[in-house]
Amino acid sequence: MILTFLRIAYLRLRNNPLELLLVFVMPVLFFSIFAMIFSQGIAAGTEKPVRLGLLLPGDNVAAADLQAELQQNTSLICTDLGGLPTESGRQERVILEAQNSSRYDLLLLLSADFSPAEEDRFRVRLVTDGQNAMAVAMVRAILEEYYAVQRVEGVVEQLQESVRSAAKERLLPAAEESAGQGAFFREPISPRTVFAGSGAPPSVEPGLAPVSADQPASVLDPPTDPAPGTFAEAADPDPETLLAAGPEPQISVDNPQAADQQNPRIAMYAAGIAVLFLLFACTGHAATMLEEAESGTLDRILVSEAGLLQIVAGKWLGIFLMGCLQLSVMFVFAEAVFRIHLWQHLDGFLVMAGSTSAATASFAMLMATICRTRSQLQGTATVIILSMSAMGGSMIPRFVMSDRMKELGRWTFNAWALDGFQKVFWFQSPIESLRPEVTVLLGSSLVMSLATLLMSGRWRRGL
Amino acid sequence: MTQEHQPILTLQAVRKSYRGRAALQGISLQLFPGELLGFFGPNGAGKTTMIRCICGLLKPDEGSITLSIPDSFRGSRASRPGLVPQNLAVYPDLTVQQNLEVFGRLEGVRGAALQQRIDEVLEWSALQDRRRSLARTLSGGMQRRLNIACSVLHRPAVLLLDEPTVGVDPQSRERIYAMMQELTAAGTAVLLTTHQLEEVETRCDRIVVMDHGQIVADGRLPQLVASSLGLPHRVELSFQHPCVVELRNFEFDEQRLTAVCRLASMQQLPGVLEVLQGLPEPPQAINVRSFGLQDVFLALTGRSLRE
Repeated sequence: MILTFLRIAYLRLRNNPLELLLVFVMPVLFFSIFAMIFSQGIAAGTEKPVRLGLLLPGDNVAAADLQAELQQNTSLICTDLGGLPTESGRQERVILEAQNSSRYDLLLLLSADFSPAEEDRFRVRLVTDGQNAMAVAMVRAILEEYYAVQRVEGVVEQLQESVRSAAKERLLPAAEESAGQGAFFREPISPRTVFAGSGAPPSVEPGLAPVSADQPASVLDPPTDPAPGTFAEAADPDPETLLAAGPEPQISVDNPQAADQQNPRIAMYAAGIAVLFLLFACTGHAATMLEEAESGTLDRILVSEAGLLQIVAGKWLGIFLMGCLQLSVMFVFAEAVFRIHLWQHLDGFLVMAGSTSAATASFAMLMATICRTRSQLQGTATVIILSMSAMGGSMIPRFVMSDRMKELGRWTFNAWALDGFQKVFWFQSPIESLRPEVTVLLGSSLVMSLATLLMSGRWRRGL
Repeated sequence: MTQEHQPILTLQAVRKSYRGRAALQGISLQLFPGELLGFFGPNGAGKTTMIRCICGLLKPDEGSITLSIPDSFRGSRASRPGLVPQNLAVYPDLTVQQNLEVFGRLEGVRGAALQQRIDEVLEWSALQDRRRSLARTLSGGMQRRLNIACSVLHRPAVLLLDEPTVGVDPQSRERIYAMMQELTAAGTAVLLTTHQLEEVETRCDRIVVMDHGQIVADGRLPQLVASSLGLPHRVELSFQHPCVVELRNFEFDEQRLTAVCRLASMQQLPGVLEVLQGLPEPPQAINVRSFGLQDVFLALTGRSLRE
């Protein structure tokens, strides 16, 4: 009996190509999309280097040295954006322009007196638009490593200098004295005995810590308990102490565009989630047309005074308004809870909500016109919407994708919608800057609506 | 010819094909005011295509469809036929009143006229008490009545019903036919497609049988029986042993175990049965029956299964 149920399940699956598609093809498709994103994107190491824009002081050798070091790093693509303007306002404008160009994941600015040798002059400013947190972490780590290496090299040089000085200032008179007595040649002094001495306890020289005869000592070993003011303290010969006690590199991270937001990422994710659910909701709403066709209600409406054009237009308008309302609810909630500054960007939001809803409504109507049954629509729409959302940035931020994936994403209208919302809420761009996104969204809406009208004649013929 | 005898709907040599397959092959038909026309045929005969052509949903490849609205319907929106689809073509999540409102608006009836018409239609369909009920909560019979009610709000001169009594109890069926009788009494022409042959036999003024995209019979039931089967009554005698006696008016089969007589009227039956009195062995069984639409239908369309 159980096998009979198994057979029923098998036969139903076999006889339903759409379900087969959802069960077996959809996971593979999604795996492929995500594999493409991650294999050529964020997890690909050198294949997806961080694009770093450099704003460096012109005549600074240390800055040039750091630039050379950064350019050798294969995880980075460094672009010299020219000299750092000295005037503050102009500096911020340059930063803003560089960010708006979307060509850089991160901008790196060095102070005019930048120097890794002096801790208070290792001042680095990283400017991010907040999209790529990985880029910030990566560049910060590279800078810290560079700073540490520079510090170690400095310590080594300092130690070498200390040893040379000590040998010159302290040992040379003793050697001269020994040479006068002939002792220097009779009993050569081992390097180990420079401070430890041998035979009779040496007299403690001012500035030297007392060392017992049976205690091995080295020029590199610090005195166990150096007295204040001794040579050990003055020379600070312990590299660990030097590094541990040294100041942290002064690396600041700024996000000027999101400076007045409590949580700048929220707006972007609100848009991503809203557009994803908008697609599903609109398609579900358009499915009522198929429901009406199946029940005969559509025939009754077609026989009435309402023409086909009015029916399609009325349905489209309903879906469009519902989409606007859904986006509004989402963003008002985001404003109330997460303070995305909706009211400051209301004009941009309205433009983007309208154009996104228009494109989504047209997409939903086209899907309902192409599909013959509700189950067909549900299956097909699920495949297309999830694919569009994965490629368009609703599921994974587009900045982690490879350039190729980003380009592919551009063929989905929801990518344009997300870009528009991002411009409004993240980059706080003026409404004029939304022209490309709005053009694409309304254009695709028009094309899909025309296709719907061309194919809507099938409603008259019946399903 | 008076206006009442002028056809309200005329189909003249209507042809329609889908992808090379002829769905209608020269249909000619007339429908008169106040007439209840029963229209039936096997599945795939072309009934739905014909109704869609009458409604204007499909444009015929050839031929013409003409509506002549009587004066009694002038001034209304009667030129558009009312369509009652086979399925429940109402919004299940709207109330009865709301469904009537939206379909009335779609038919161009608005304002006070719409409210008045809704009241009339609710009374006509005996749904006054369920005015505020959601359509999905109604019984099957009520839903069917609402389905019809939504199609008559604009007082159509022609009402097309596609199997309006499927799945309803006898009481609701009676009510639905009473509603149709009220409509025909007011001059509305009703075209009813159904597979309920008994209903067509007893309720319809005229019957049209369609098969393979053509009208194969058109008339009242006696005419159809006469044209397709001959005399309408049949007497069959069955014998246990071969009958050796000749019987007047009866025809025997080869084994002489069965004898059949056809009658023009049941009044002839007593006279016919008199011959049985002199038989040495009385018949084992006597079967008397009148031909109905089922016999006409099978005679015209054959017994092979369709679709």
